[in-house]
Amino acid sequence: MSAIDEFEEAREDLEALLIEVLGSVFSEEAMPVWDDALPPGPIVSSRLAIHDEVDDSYTMVEVRTSAIVARVLASRMLLTADPGPDDLLDAVGELGNIAGGNVKSLLRHSCRLSLPLAEMTDDASAPDVDGVTVRAAVLGQVVELTVHLAGDIEGLTWPGSASEEVVETPA
Amino acid sequence: MKILVADDSKAMRMIVVRTLRQAGLGGHDIIEAEDGKQAYEIARAQNVDLVLSDWNMPEMTGIELLKALRSSGSEVPFCFVTSEGSDEMREQASQAGAMGLIAKPFTSDAFGDILAPVVA
Repeated sequence: MSAIDEFEEAREDLEALLIEVLGSVFSEEAMPVWDDALPPGPIVSSRLAIHDEVDDSYTMVEVRTSAIVARVLASRMLLTADPGPDDLLDAVGELGNIAGGNVKSLLRHSCRLSLPLAEMTDDASAPDVDGVTVRAAVLGQVVELTVHLAGDIEGLTWPGSASEEVVETPA
Repeated sequence: MKILVADDSKAMRMIVVRTLRQAGLGGHDIIEAEDGKQAYEIARAQNVDLVLSDWNMPEMTGIELLKALRSSGSEVPFCFVTSEGSDEMREQASQAGAMGLIAKPFTSDAFGDILAPVVA
């Protein structure tokens, strides 16, 4: 069974995970949503890879939300009324890190987590990947968690003494 | 009491400090480090009383930091605050000499339960 099959089976766990993480970091109740897409406009995303050391595969964990939500999150985490762009990336990067760590805990075998990479883009369309996406609403806005097999993990780095190594894309 | 908080996220460092306060463990000198290597240098130079450290950080991971401190003879109380809380990692942390592992997302109760015995 592939990692994605495992996550498809664990879809409800992923939804519960996203709601728990959002509820904790926002101190607001988060609700599951199924069809709502991200609104048009700037999107802040965080992605990290989970390396399965048993079969040498990579699973990507991506969290995406609007810049509006990212601004509220950064404001609450950093206790500032006017968070800057770096603050938004830091906040959403940490949100992705928490989600990634919890997703990793759903896996049965030994895996390694990369450091998160947060970015801001204008593309609100859902990533065209073969994976599992769950969504939740917090503050009336959608936050999206996607787990998929990694085709492009360029730019990610590993923690620790190997952090200078850029993660190599598997052949 | 000097408490060293090591995490590559500034937002998370602030949350950790805030949660300490919410757990009734505030009022101490807080020193922050952005990665494990910086944390190691600060811990060695400033004789800190407690280390609260993320696991996955650039330069040096939390577990590498803990092992380096123990190898240098430091017995400073050390607790992980990390997004991963598997049994395997808890066992690894314990064997390396950590007093505990608090998994993110966390509550102030979790901080109080684990840290109250060492935070005066």
